[in-house]
Amino acid sequence: MPETIQRDSLIGKRITKLDAPEKASGKTRYIQDLDVQGQLYGKILRSSRVHAKIKRIDTSKAKALPGVHAVITAADVPYQRPIGVAKDHFPLKTDRVRSTRDEIAAVAAESEAIAEAALKLIEVEYEDLPILADPYDSLKPGAPLIHPEPHGASAKHDHLKQAQGIAYLGKPDNVAMTFDYAQGDVAAGERESDVVFEDTFTLHYVTHCCMGVSGIIAEFDSSGNLLLYSNTQVPFLHKREFAEILSMDPARIRIIQPPIGGGFGSKLDIYPFEPICVYLAKATGRPVKLVFTREEEFLASPTRQPVILTLRSGCKKDGTLTFRTVNTLHDNGAYTSWGATTPFVMMQTISSLYRVPHCLYHTKAVYTNNPYAGSFRGYGNLQATFAVEQHMDMMAEAIGMDPLDFRMKNAQDPGEVTPQGMHFKSCGLKECLTTAAEMSGYREKFKINLANRDKPGHIKRGIGMASMLHVGGGAKIYPSDGCGTILKMDDFGSVTLITGASEIGQGSETVLAQLVCEELGLPLSAVRVVNNDTEITPWDVGVHASRTTFIAGNSAIGAAKKARSKILAAAATQAGLNADDLDLRGSHIVEAKSGTVVMSLSKLLRQLHFNDKAELVMTSFYYEPPSRHQDKHFKGDVSAAYAWATQVVEVEVDTDTGIVKMLKVTGAHDVGRVLNRLGIEGQIEGGIVMGQGYALTEELMVENGIVRNPGFRDYKLVTAPEIPEMDVRFIETMDGEGPQGAKGVGEAPAICIAAATANAIHNATGVRIMALPFTPEKVYRALHAAKKEAA
Amino acid sequence: MTALDNYIAPTSLEQAVEQLQELGEVTILAGGTDLMPQANAGRVKFKRTLMNIRRIPELRGITREGDEIRIGALATISEIMTHPLIREYLPLLVTVGDHFASSQIRNAGTLGGNVCNASPAGDTLVPLLVLGASVELASMLDDKLFRRSMPLPEFFVGPGKTRLAPAELLAAVRIPVPPKGFVARFHKFGTRPALDISAISIGISGVLDKGTLSQVRVAFGAVGPTPVCGAATEEALEGKKLDAATIAAAAVAARDEVHPISDVRASDWYRKEMIHNMTKRILEDVSASH
Ligand SMILES: Cc1cc2nc3c(=O)[nH]c(=O)nc-3n(C[C@H](O)[C@H](O)[C@H](O)COP(=O)(O)OP(=O)(O)OC[C@H]3O[C@@H](n4cnc5c(N)ncnc54)[C@H](O)[C@@H]3O)c2cc1C
Repeated sequence: MPETIQRDSLIGKRITKLDAPEKASGKTRYIQDLDVQGQLYGKILRSSRVHAKIKRIDTSKAKALPGVHAVITAADVPYQRPIGVAKDHFPLKTDRVRSTRDEIAAVAAESEAIAEAALKLIEVEYEDLPILADPYDSLKPGAPLIHPEPHGASAKHDHLKQAQGIAYLGKPDNVAMTFDYAQGDVAAGERESDVVFEDTFTLHYVTHCCMGVSGIIAEFDSSGNLLLYSNTQVPFLHKREFAEILSMDPARIRIIQPPIGGGFGSKLDIYPFEPICVYLAKATGRPVKLVFTREEEFLASPTRQPVILTLRSGCKKDGTLTFRTVNTLHDNGAYTSWGATTPFVMMQTISSLYRVPHCLYHTKAVYTNNPYAGSFRGYGNLQATFAVEQHMDMMAEAIGMDPLDFRMKNAQDPGEVTPQGMHFKSCGLKECLTTAAEMSGYREKFKINLANRDKPGHIKRGIGMASMLHVGGGAKIYPSDGCGTILKMDDFGSVTLITGASEIGQGSETVLAQLVCEELGLPLSAVRVVNNDTEITPWDVGVHASRTTFIAGNSAIGAAKKARSKILAAAATQAGLNADDLDLRGSHIVEAKSGTVVMSLSKLLRQLHFNDKAELVMTSFYYEPPSRHQDKHFKGDVSAAYAWATQVVEVEVDTDTGIVKMLKVTGAHDVGRVLNRLGIEGQIEGGIVMGQGYALTEELMVENGIVRNPGFRDYKLVTAPEIPEMDVRFIETMDGEGPQGAKGVGEAPAICIAAATANAIHNATGVRIMALPFTPEKVYRALHAAKKEAA
Repeated sequence: MTALDNYIAPTSLEQAVEQLQELGEVTILAGGTDLMPQANAGRVKFKRTLMNIRRIPELRGITREGDEIRIGALATISEIMTHPLIREYLPLLVTVGDHFASSQIRNAGTLGGNVCNASPAGDTLVPLLVLGASVELASMLDDKLFRRSMPLPEFFVGPGKTRLAPAELLAAVRIPVPPKGFVARFHKFGTRPALDISAISIGISGVLDKGTLSQVRVAFGAVGPTPVCGAATEEALEGKKLDAATIAAAAVAARDEVHPISDVRASDWYRKEMIHNMTKRILEDVSASH
């Protein structure tokens, strides 16, 4: 036993993720690797038409194929209920198909190959309907309707049925959702303006490209309890939603999450394949496993929300922003998922990234026959930032101000409450701006590049910046934003941390373990994290909105603190010392001042178990601190803390080809405090690469409702040689409410890249491109058009 | 669910062509990096017999035979990139390998597979054309192993279509040892530096003597149903001093003689522009470095 132990901390250290050895050695068992005794394999037949009435489905040949256990269509599940954010989506389509991803029938068979073969034997007769492939067309008077009449297996024009959640009544127009927000008086703002710009920005489809494709296993036990092995990011919300959809008692549904091969927001909604797998399990009385092919993953998982955004904004000659008016058109696809609600986040950037006195914001999400969008890392913020930060550069140029000075003039300060009602208790935006600019040599390079623009040579360099604001202290999307923790201690000084927070690769279990170690003076190896079973873990609203470190972290700290006081109190009694003078270090109880060891933790714990019958199970719950919740006009606070960042992108543009090479990204991120340096660097670097793909290479090409590139051959992810040099610095503002001062950071790093790249391309070439992605051909065309215009 | 009746792995060329003739319905498997993705996507149906040709020694190896370098059909892209004969005489093929797929694919994919797959975007085809390559084809004739040779330009018929007879194997690619003063360039133009299918590609070769190009060969990839030779561009360069005017004229000739299509990778207009700009860039590079 050592004589003295000095205080040591894991906070801010570079700590390997707890799941890294398993993942790096290929031993992690994802849903693909899980097999349940007696399982069948599910496959889904999707529409071969973009928009059509289903006239007839004949499954008899498929049913007759040996090895097939069930073939189901909507007619076989009259009890099915609509899913999704607007409950406008039946898992198995009843009367018509509205996009090529639409599910018509499903098969459960003894092997994937048999299931596949059975799909080919299903006959479907369609009657084509006119296709709406452009959201503008959907709004035209007399446009065909996507949801013209009630649907649902037993809809039959019965309003009661919708009230019961069995049917969807349809929509008299193609408008799926609207958002309106107003602050101040934009007309007055415009009158004060010396410079006004209005432009339309076009944001495209990209998709998450999780390494692990979607999958689920559904199994009923003999008492009718349903066990789901599911990749969901929100197990507790889904437990309730599955109960609703399946008309089951939620108590009978258990969700186990196997390790998830990437989420990025894609697993925030329930998609048809999930209830369909349950229907198949029900129909066959056997467990059913349904895993997507990669092509299916491209065709039938959600996308990032495509947006057409018209921004009108102005400023005074001295650089003061005056107003912003925004109109967006969101292509909602055929059904409503979370993509339609991205305006909720977009308006925060528009109203509050910089100080703008007057704002007006309208959004329409309209139905089309295209794919539909879900939630995706950044949640609308990439789109809003793309427009806002380009206008910032344009206005700065118009009034002859340095883009950095212009931003500094309008940047938020700590303590500010914006007209929308967001309260920035900690805010490092100005420090982010100056740090990123200084690190990258922004000011000088910006000028040098301008001077070189018209010199000969086909390689032009550019530098551009953009900043962002994003929730970093949970998000008050639901009435509560809580997370629970159960912490138990064995008598060897080890801790089992049972948390509601899900791990989807972001490294949350490592950070939570660290926070517990910090309170209890334990090495990381002493902590096990249990986080994937609704039957065991306490309630949580799920992984989204960069909330896990903040919310689940505070919750874990709460439980650890309870354990700490209990241990120190017991130790004090035993040793005849004062608990306040004691500390926990290196798995020992020590005198805080001198570090003199009093006793070992394991010995104390054993004594507590055997002699004092002590309860060594702690529970705690963390809810976001009280604040002004948003009202129905979207005024109010949405998070307990906000994350900030400035990223500077340097590019090389080849004017002969339009190829944009991303050379370097410099980032300054206000993360509150660094908990796991290795983890946060991973988040930032991964986010930058995701932002790079969004800016330069990735595009799900949808033509007339059909996805043209459902595979990695033509859907271009960034590859290793393209990844830029990265220089990232953390601005530690030590948020008062954050766990050890930390704020959420999961989404932040992806947000600015496209906007900063646009500004860098402009700096290099003088050409401003307002549509993504900046593929070589698009950039070349823009350069070519500019050259023609000049000539 | 592809039901193969039969799998064979002959161990000599003679045995292979014999079996080809006998069995008729045979799918040939080399590295499988084209065949397997195509089969999985349902674009290719396996015939009744699958013949693995990887155990045939005569299809391996890279050797010098007189004034020719013979590259066995089974030579992988990686082998080609590192082989001393290639590095000495045909460094162009090393450059090709650099931009070809990824390490994993280069280790499995063969030159024979790339040629027989006959994709207009196949990355070795344009370089082989400007290197003056011919193909060595093997079959049975009068119960004996028979080899014939065919200049590469005649070999390609359409996307995935060649003049390979049903019972014939590609045994090797033969390339003349380049003369003194030989220069050759290949430019693969895709939208990213790795794992990309060419949007267009250009190969140019010739003998450069005192700034003048002769014996010029030009070929383009991904601008038509097969890789194509650029006769008009060759003419614009042949015997000319490689100065700015010649380069400009050649670039225009190149753009005007190709007739690409629009697809998910690029539009026809952009392809023509890139043919122009990259032809110019290659020629400027040749002119600057000699
Ligand atoms: C991820 C990925 C990236 C790729 N990137 C590139 C790239 O950058 N550039 C490029 O050009 N290609 C690329 N390819 C395509 C492919 O790798 C190459 O064309 C490769 O050279 C094919 O060789 P193989 O040995 O694998 O051919 P296989 O797939 O075995 O065969 C291809 C075809 O040729 C026939 N065949 C093969 N050998 C013979 C023979 N000796 N005689 C008669 N017929 C024969 C086969 O029957 C088949 O029809 C890529 C493929 C993948 C999967």
